[in-house]
Amino acid sequence: MAGSQDMFDAIVMADERFHGEGYQEGYEEGSSLGLIEGRQHGTFHGAKIGSEIGCYQGFAFAWRCLLHSCATEKDSKKMKVLESLIGMIQKFPFDDPTYDKLHEDLDRIRGKFKQVRVRVSFGS
Amino acid sequence: MKDSLVLLGRIPAHPDSRCWFLAWNPAGTLLASCGGDRSVRIWGREGDSWICKSVLCEGHQRTVRKVAWSPCGNYLASASFDATTCIWKKNQDDFECVTTLEGHENEVKSVAWAPSGNLLATCSRDKSVWVWEVDEEDEYECVSVLNSHTQDVKHVLWHPSQELLASASYDDTVKLYREEEDDWVCCATLEGHESTVWSLAFDPSGQRLASCSDDRTVRIWRQYLPGNEQGVACNGSDPSWKCICTLSGFHSRTIYDIAWCQLTGALATACGDDAIRVFEEDPGSDPQRPTFSLTAHLPQAHSQDVNCVAWNPKEQGLLASCSDDGELAFWKYQPSEGP
Repeated sequence: MAGSQDMFDAIVMADERFHGEGYQEGYEEGSSLGLIEGRQHGTFHGAKIGSEIGCYQGFAFAWRCLLHSCATEKDSKKMKVLESLIGMIQKFPFDDPTYDKLHEDLDRIRGKFKQVRVRVSFGS
Repeated sequence: MKDSLVLLGRIPAHPDSRCWFLAWNPAGTLLASCGGDRSVRIWGREGDSWICKSVLCEGHQRTVRKVAWSPCGNYLASASFDATTCIWKKNQDDFECVTTLEGHENEVKSVAWAPSGNLLATCSRDKSVWVWEVDEEDEYECVSVLNSHTQDVKHVLWHPSQELLASASYDDTVKLYREEEDDWVCCATLEGHESTVWSLAFDPSGQRLASCSDDRTVRIWRQYLPGNEQGVACNGSDPSWKCICTLSGFHSRTIYDIAWCQLTGALATACGDDAIRVFEEDPGSDPQRPTFSLTAHLPQAHSQDVNCVAWNPKEQGLLASCSDDGELAFWKYQPSEGP
């Protein structure tokens, strides 16, 4: 019931209109797919980090139990290093992916774990 | 300039292999060399010639990349591609391996003793720098594992008087570390080189650091303490290091090693173009903007890449060098008196 003016308008602008609608649909679909992919990516990498740090923490807890009696001065030195690692892990903000020192702190934890591993595995 | 560096003698130190590094003992009487043949050799002077006094061949399964004497001269550390560092104790002409430090994940590239004799640093292709503490019973304990570099760490060096550690890496930077509350932290990153930094040397005063790189330049860095009169900004209580001089256009290939003579202040470089060069600071040059001149250039000092140069700590002008051709050479440096 539109005038002949609108009918031609509809035909002439059809290309641009379909382009716009297509873009909009694509954008929305892309956004929701992106959200899903991002979530999977985050879950995967977050789990990897969690698993790695969890492993260090478990190792430290186990050795802390083993050295619990602190028989020698060497043992108490080892204990100090273990507590240092446990402390670093406990202070780490696991629920904040935007933490600005994330990678720096992770590297420090990894370094501390390597040191702990060498310290506890040698000597009496 | 041609006559400034005179050959005193040449020895096939590690035949059919590469000679990677040299280290004079603190007394200047012995020279340790190490190589691709997995051995460490100790050279001593007998009259006018240098003879091999000991061979330490049972310590490592792969190339020995660096050796370092303890400040007391009784111990020698050797860093190897087999991922271990051996500590050898000297008993007259014999050396006994007393400990093997393990922990690095792959090739250990360098080892260095702190001037106090209580600390040792190692670095590796695994991108980490390890600090070890030695106690009175010769027990070594790892006190820190530093993951600051993002690539292979090529060299570590302690400051001559402060408890400050420097490292050079394939990531194009030099990093400095100090102790903070029972742990070691990276307190400065020196950026400027455009490629791998291969080696480092402190000047006799410890106020300046020289670095040499695959980018064919030598850079001189100066330490500025907080509140310095030159107005160089510092981060809290940490000193700042600024590049005060760049020596470029002198070397045609990678510069693998640099040595700063503690007696005279002369700077020697070992280059991939088989040459040895010596630089001296121009008298009267501004301490904040020093200038250095090339005082010796010996092309074909060796038949292949020169890997190391080392000034004798007691005898002025005595320089040792070694190369991929397996040879060790001794040189007398005498800057020509002239207008």
